[in-house]
Amino acid sequence: MSEAPTDTAAAEGPARTDGGTVTASDAGGSGTALERLVELSKRESVVVIGSAIALLALPVLLIDVLGFVSTLLFGSTKLAGYEGLSALVLAFAIAVIGFDILLGYTELLSFGHAAFFGVAAYTAGIVSTQVSANPLVMVFIGIVVTAPLAVVIGFLSIRRSGVYFAVLTLTFGQMLYFYALGPGAWLTGGANGLTDLQADPLFGFALSDTLQDIYFDMTGSLLLDVPFARLSVEYLLLAAFTLAAIWLAYRIINSPYGLILSAIGENEQRVDFVGLDVFRYKLMAFVISAMFAGAGGALFAVHERIAGIYPGTLYWITSGDFVIMAVLGGTGSIAGPFLGALVFEYISNVVSSLSFVLFTGPLKGIFGEFTLNFGSIWRLVLGGVFVLVVAKFPDGIRGAISSAVEAADGRLTGSGGGGSAADSEVDVDPDPEPETDGGATERPASRDEETGGERR
Amino acid sequence: MTLLQTEGLTKRFGGLVAVDHVDLGIERGETRAIIGPNGAGKSTCINLITGLLEPTEGTVTFDSEDITHLEPYETVQRGMAKSFQTASIFPSMTVEENVKIAAFAAEHGSFQLNFLRDREKFPAVNAVVDEMLGAVQLSDSRDLEVGSLPYGDKRRLEIAIALAAEPELLLMDEPTAGMSPEETQSTVDLVEDLQEELGLTIVLVEHDMEIIFRVADRITVLNRGSVIAEGSPDEVQGDPQVQEAYLGGVEL
Repeated sequence: MSEAPTDTAAAEGPARTDGGTVTASDAGGSGTALERLVELSKRESVVVIGSAIALLALPVLLIDVLGFVSTLLFGSTKLAGYEGLSALVLAFAIAVIGFDILLGYTELLSFGHAAFFGVAAYTAGIVSTQVSANPLVMVFIGIVVTAPLAVVIGFLSIRRSGVYFAVLTLTFGQMLYFYALGPGAWLTGGANGLTDLQADPLFGFALSDTLQDIYFDMTGSLLLDVPFARLSVEYLLLAAFTLAAIWLAYRIINSPYGLILSAIGENEQRVDFVGLDVFRYKLMAFVISAMFAGAGGALFAVHERIAGIYPGTLYWITSGDFVIMAVLGGTGSIAGPFLGALVFEYISNVVSSLSFVLFTGPLKGIFGEFTLNFGSIWRLVLGGVFVLVVAKFPDGIRGAISSAVEAADGRLTGSGGGGSAADSEVDVDPDPEPETDGGATERPASRDEETGGERR
Repeated sequence: MTLLQTEGLTKRFGGLVAVDHVDLGIERGETRAIIGPNGAGKSTCINLITGLLEPTEGTVTFDSEDITHLEPYETVQRGMAKSFQTASIFPSMTVEENVKIAAFAAEHGSFQLNFLRDREKFPAVNAVVDEMLGAVQLSDSRDLEVGSLPYGDKRRLEIAIALAAEPELLLMDEPTAGMSPEETQSTVDLVEDLQEELGLTIVLVEHDMEIIFRVADRITVLNRGSVIAEGSPDEVQGDPQVQEAYLGGVEL
C-alpha cells in the first residue's frame, strides 16, 4: 500500500515543497502514510474516481452489507435499506452539497432552499407531461428554472445578514409553498399532488430496468448474481448527476471562489476592503447552491415519478432538513453533506419502519406485550443522533470519521503526533539526496523511535 | 499634485456632528498624519473617505474622480487601501491565503466568473503574493494559520493585505496600536521602506507622537470634527490651538 503513494509523492513532491521533505516523511511509517493519503485524496482525479466507486458501492452497502449485519444481529434484514433508498439519498445529497457551498463556506444560513428543490421538482413533473418525458430534459429544465428564481430571492435576501437573511429566505419558500397548495393548484395539483408524471426510457432503457434486465434482454442469459447487477437505470442516472455535482463542487471549492467565499464567511468587511464585491459573490454562491438544489429536486421528481410530487417538497421543513443534513454530516466539505443525506434518509426511511417487541419472556407476564414502533418517532431518533454527533463532533459525521481514523492511526504507530513531529524536523533539515531510497527509509525509522520516546 | 481631496466633508449622527466641513488635500507621495484627541472624528473621517460611511454633506475626490458615494470595494479598486486598527484578517486561513484574497481583487477586479478554474493556476496572483509577503518579511510563515501568529506578525500581515490591493494611497488606522516597542520600531521602519520602495501616499491616524514626528511630512489636527491646524510637524507643534486641544492630554 505504501508503494503507490511513495511513487506519486516523489513525482509530485518537488513542485509543491522540497522533495526531501515529502519523500522522507512519506517513508516514515503509517502516520505519514496517512498524511500522504489525505493529501492524495484532495486531488481532482482521486476525488472523481473515488466518488464514482463509492456511488456504485452505495446500494450494495445499504442493501447487502447492512442486510448481512442485520441478519447476524436480529435474524432478519430489517435494518437493511431497499432499492429506492439509494436514489433518494443521491437526490438529497446533490441538494445538500450545493447548500453547503452557501452554509459551510459563505456561512449564509438559508432557510428557504426547499423553494428551489420544490420548484425544480414541480417543473420537472410538469415538463414530463407538457413538454418532454425525456428524463434529461426534465432535469435540465428543472435546473435552469431555479437560476432566475434564485437571482430574485437572493437579490432581495442577501442585502440582510444573519437572522434576517434566514427569515427572508424562509418567507419566500413559504410563499411558494402556499401558492402550490392553493392558488397554484391548477398547475401543481394542490394538496393532491402532481401525480401523472411521465418518464421515457433513457437511451432506450426503461428507468426501472436493472443491469440484469438489460443484459437478459440483449443476450437472453443472466448475469452472475452479483449485487451490481441490481443497479437500475434510474440509479445510474442519479449517480451520474451526483458525480457531476461532486466534481463541480470540487472545482468551485478549489477555484478563487472557494477562497473568497470562505473569506466572506470569516470576515465580510475585510473582503469588502480588499476590493471585492461581496454582494455579487454572495449572490453567486446563492445561485450556485440553488441550482444544486434544483438538480436534486428535479432528480427527486424522476425518482418519485410514480408516487408524485407534493407541496411538502416546498415546505419549510424540507429547508430545515437540508440544514440538518449539512450540519449532521459536517459543513465545509463535500463528503460531509453526502454522509448527512445518507444518515438522514436512512433514519427517515429505514429506522422509521422498525418495530421491536418489548417485554418478552417472564417480563411479558408482568407488563403485558408492548411493541415499540419507531414509525411515529423517527424524528426523535434523528434528533438524538444529531445532538450526540454534533455535540461531540462540531464537524459532524465527517469529523467523527476523521478523528476515528487518526486515533486508529495513532494507535498503530504508537504515537499520535509522531508523523507531524517528524515532518517539522525534516523541514529544518533538508535531505541532501531526496530520491535515494536507502537514506529516506532509514532516517525516519529512527526518528519515529525518538518521537515515541519523547512523548511517553 | 493632489491625490485625495475632501471638500466640506460632514457627517452628522442625529444631533452629533462627528465630522464638520473638513477640507483635506493629500498630495501625491506625501505621508500625512491625522491626529486629534479621542472623539475628534479621525476614524469617522477615514470611514467617510473609504466609503464605509455615507457623508451627510460634502465630496471626496480621488485622482480627479468623485468617489463620494462609492462602496468600500469600489474605492479600493480605484487605488485606496486601508489597514485596520485591530488586525482585520481571516484567522482560520494561512498567511498566504490571506494575502491571496487581496491579490485576486487587485489582479481580477471586484468580481469574476472564474468559479471552475484552479486557484493555484494564476501566476500573476502568486507573484503579487510572493512580493507582498517578502515586503513584510512573512515569507517564511506563509503556510501557518494566521490565528496562531504573534500580534506583531498579524499587524504586518494586515499591512500586506492592504498592500496586495496595489494601492496608490494607503490609509493606516493606528498601525502600531497595542504593539511592543520592538514591534512598533519594526513597523515604523516598514512604513518608511514602503513609502520609498512603492512610492505610496500614506495617510496615518496615530496617537504616538514620536512616530508621527518621525514619519509624517505634514500633520492635520482634528478637534470636535473640525480641522484646527495643518502644517509641517514643527508648525503644528507650536500652534496654540493644538496645545489647547491637547491640554492635559499628550505632551507635544
